[in-house]
Amino acid sequence: MNASEGCMRSSPSSNSEEGNRRAPIRERLERYMSYPVGLLVALFIFSAILLAMGLNPILSIETVLYGSFGTTFSASETFVRVTPLLLSTLAFLIGFKARFLNIGAEGQLHIGALTAYLVASQMEGLPSGLSIPLVIFASFAGGVSWLAIPLLLRIRLEVNEVFPTVVMNFIARFIISWLCTGPIKDPNALNPQTRVIPEGTWLPLMVSGTRLHAGIILAVLLAFLVYLVLYKTVLGYEIRAVGLNPRASKHGGISLSQSMISVGLLSGGLAGLAGMVEVIGAHHLLIEGFSPGFGYQGIGIAALGGFHPLGAIFASMLFSILQIGGETMQRGAGVPIDLVYVLQAILVLSVLIVERWITVKRQK
Amino acid sequence: MIEILTAILSGGVILATPILFSALGEIYDERAGVLNLGIEAIMSLTGFVALWIGFSTGSHLTGTLAAILAGGLVALIHSFACVTIGVNQLISGLLILTLADGIANFAYRSLTVVPTIEPLRPINIPGLTQIPVLGPILFQHNLFVYLAFLLAIVFGFVLYKTTWGLRIRGVGENPGACDAAGIDVNRIRHLCVILSGVMAGFGGASLTLGYIGLYGRGIAAGRGWIGIIVVILSRWSPYRAILGSLIFGLGYSIASNLIGIGVAVPYYFLMMLPYIIALVVVSFMFKRTRGPSALTVPYRRR
Repeated sequence: MNASEGCMRSSPSSNSEEGNRRAPIRERLERYMSYPVGLLVALFIFSAILLAMGLNPILSIETVLYGSFGTTFSASETFVRVTPLLLSTLAFLIGFKARFLNIGAEGQLHIGALTAYLVASQMEGLPSGLSIPLVIFASFAGGVSWLAIPLLLRIRLEVNEVFPTVVMNFIARFIISWLCTGPIKDPNALNPQTRVIPEGTWLPLMVSGTRLHAGIILAVLLAFLVYLVLYKTVLGYEIRAVGLNPRASKHGGISLSQSMISVGLLSGGLAGLAGMVEVIGAHHLLIEGFSPGFGYQGIGIAALGGFHPLGAIFASMLFSILQIGGETMQRGAGVPIDLVYVLQAILVLSVLIVERWITVKRQK
Repeated sequence: MIEILTAILSGGVILATPILFSALGEIYDERAGVLNLGIEAIMSLTGFVALWIGFSTGSHLTGTLAAILAGGLVALIHSFACVTIGVNQLISGLLILTLADGIANFAYRSLTVVPTIEPLRPINIPGLTQIPVLGPILFQHNLFVYLAFLLAIVFGFVLYKTTWGLRIRGVGENPGACDAAGIDVNRIRHLCVILSGVMAGFGGASLTLGYIGLYGRGIAAGRGWIGIIVVILSRWSPYRAILGSLIFGLGYSIASNLIGIGVAVPYYFLMMLPYIIALVVVSFMFKRTRGPSALTVPYRRR
């Protein structure tokens, strides 16, 4: 038993048991119960925290909902935030299905954003129909490139991918900080950020007067695509088989390294796209610290969505509502946004604990 | 030249301290079969708690005690989720990561004052500090540094030479057999997970109270992750963890000393040094490393 098998034996099935067997209705209903129950538990814990801080929980929920959907603008911001969250969730999820734990979406989306900026800034005067696909391709390739070392280590040396991917996150952040404060910094800007990219490379706007760009459509389409790939193609079957039982899959004739390469390409690429939408969709430039940890949040969202690509759409929507609503609370009541990150972690943990508890109870 | 070299080596010992603390806790944790990936954020959180309580009470000791309490409490959430319930340890650990970071930053931004504290002063050991060259490198440090290296030896002794250590190792290798022998598997696991939080608490305290004296977002700056890498590099041995954490301590020290004397390399590249060392270490050392057999596998009686 070596490091990559023994040290991190974490089967996707431990929190979402599906395989090819469809569970009986009653069992599935029971499992879905974990969502309302987990939500209630989280709400209870959170009300206690808010009350202890001297805030009214019901008013706070109202503020969050109003802040995230009260006006056209706030609703559009909620959808703008969903986009990178959903894409980095898909990046983690597709790896998780094959037991490839890509904790490096954060780094990959930084590099994806960088390549998107570098290519977009050279596209002055080109028509959108040509420049945008090129930028998207570049960011995809950028994300993949940042996963290449961990992927190679995994395939060639059987090194578990968790630590290489995490370490690469730190390196990516330093690279972006260096570039945004030095070589590609806009000399006229106070903040560590670049110049604005040419207008021809901006993702088309969907509602004028907002920042809502076409990236959200791309992200949702990709979620459906990931669903189709995972559940309706041979590749997806192999990915899930490898995740459920690598040894049996190998004996069944599936090439482990080939499925790892496919998973790595998709995972790193999707994370790269998460960086791209922020650059050519939301900000139109590259700014240091543009990601408040989208890559790490994607892990929690994937877990909340039951490690299912369509569940990820809803889960990332919930995270986005909380974050945009939380930012309103920060501006209004002066409650730091970090409280929202605490809530998100409590929420996902509660759901996972209740889900696991129900499963164990049934087995007894 | 000698002065810079001494500064680098001595800094290496200081900067190895938080890494060693967190690695020691994680060794026990993983030996008992539980992985705690939340160490990084627990260090940030406890670093904040230590600073805040130390600042408000004016006592480094109270700050440290508060930090280890906070670390233990956060780890308790992880052990409840993974050991009692059986949630996937990796996912739970990564959620603890966002949880602890969130709590720390939330509390820090809620404060109306900026807590600062004077880092703990170095203590000279009579006789030993006077040794030329080696003295200032090894024996001119604050209490945290001595404590970390002392604890490494104690942890090694307990793990290899006592019944307690045998039980911890057994629970991580073959929980079924331990259960049959009348050992409460999950009780030992709970204790070890809490211990990993407590040790990360020492790590966080040694960072803010012993070295920086300030808090900032993500103050652990990768030291928690590097602590876990040290665990694997040292093949789950507290003795070898001393060497492992010194390697990374030196990496951090070289970076900060070179920044200090103004080398013509961009600041951010020097900051990358420990992570590049980590990547190299991970690439070459991890091959065929054998961890505890039952690591990440929840135990349930059948």
